[in-house]
Amino acid sequence: MKIKIILYLFISFVSIINLVASEFHVKKTEKNSVKFISDAPIENFEGVTNNIDGYLYYEIELTNNSQLHFEVDLRTLDTGIGLRNRHMRENYLETDEYPMAAFSGKIVKAEKLSENKYKVNVSGEMNIHGVNKKQNIEGIVEFIDDEIKITTNFIVKLTDHKIDVPSLMFMKIDENMDLQLSFNLEKAK
Amino acid sequence: MQFGEKKILSIFAMVLFYSVIINAQENTISWKKNEEVKSEQLHLFHSTHSINLPTTETHQKGNIEFEISHRFIPTLSDGIDALYGFDGPVNIKLSLGYAVSDYFVATIARSNVDDNLLLKAKYQFFQFDNDVFPFQFALEGGAAWNTDPIGRKSDDNRNFQYYGQLIFNSLIKNKIGLGFVPTYSYNSHVYCPEKQYSFTFGTYLQYYLTNLWSVLAEWNPTVSGFRNKYNSLSFGFELETGGHFFKIILSNNTALNPTQFTTGADLPISLKNMRIGFNITRLL
Repeated sequence: MKIKIILYLFISFVSIINLVASEFHVKKTEKNSVKFISDAPIENFEGVTNNIDGYLYYEIELTNNSQLHFEVDLRTLDTGIGLRNRHMRENYLETDEYPMAAFSGKIVKAEKLSENKYKVNVSGEMNIHGVNKKQNIEGIVEFIDDEIKITTNFIVKLTDHKIDVPSLMFMKIDENMDLQLSFNLEKAK
Repeated sequence: MQFGEKKILSIFAMVLFYSVIINAQENTISWKKNEEVKSEQLHLFHSTHSINLPTTETHQKGNIEFEISHRFIPTLSDGIDALYGFDGPVNIKLSLGYAVSDYFVATIARSNVDDNLLLKAKYQFFQFDNDVFPFQFALEGGAAWNTDPIGRKSDDNRNFQYYGQLIFNSLIKNKIGLGFVPTYSYNSHVYCPEKQYSFTFGTYLQYYLTNLWSVLAEWNPTVSGFRNKYNSLSFGFELETGGHFFKIILSNNTALNPTQFTTGADLPISLKNMRIGFNITRLL
């Protein structure tokens, strides 16, 4: 009898977890946009990719038991000039060894802006070039039908991740890289 | 049921319950990392040329490469009076290359030697990617028009030259670049009464000291057909930065466009016969 009760409780608990849990995965679409923007004295440049993957998990509310992980394949960053892509990959980001930039964390605050729109504060760790760095990021989470749109803009300091700042002639860039992300998530199947 | 059994069952239930609570969240996340690795275009040599001979390297579709190269005609043995060659005269090449695709580049170039105007194309057609000996093949071919030859009109059909090259490249341990470039040139000596051909077997080595600095050497012996006195030897160093390549070289050959360079050098190989030159390329 007791075994039956335990099993009942166990099944009920798992069912409740499944009912209250929401998991969204990055929707693979060309509309996703990840931009690495650098100010340089001679010319500014943007590294752009849509190759972002990851998930957002929460239970009932965004801040409740939330988990998120997003990663960008740096090998796909395109600055518009093949040779510059190669220099960026081989000389600075060393993508053979560290192909991904990843952020893992949780939503610590969600402020409702409108019916389906939230300003969120996320706390977690950014991993670029194999180096972890604690980072707090602000972003907008917008529920559109069955999907979520995330937009965010923040600064990554290259030296925090032990990336040499290119400073040779014609290639001097700012050590603060501006990251602009806009991407969609869909309900996990 | 004994009391002991009940106790064990209760402990078991609690452990099970709390382990479920702890692990439930992680277990319910179904996202999986995508480990798919797409095959990519190999990039072996960094530059599209070693010194005079082409590498298999191309550019990203839509990119334009501008080149200006000089070969100073006085030799090192002319000394300080000729500023070791920098006083000139000088052979100059200007070129613009356009990447029609990631694998195909079309280039127009002009050298002031007989006002040689060149149209050429390079196509990268095969690669074998592996950790030990990655390699790549490309074909290059072109037609040159010597628009200002000595002693005859520019539209004389003897002013037109053609060439084809098979390019093999490998990069060992990301440090040592190796290239072989057999070249066939038709009408390789525009001033001979009979049309000449030249078959050369060029080879080059480039050692990448750092990601930016490298040293390189190029040897282009004539296997058969016309040769302009001596085989060509060139060597120097390369600096790459941003979208630029700077090469400072010494060579016994002052020609720049392929139909002129591949026919050989006018001076024998020795340090005193070497001429200073440079190549600068810039992606626009």
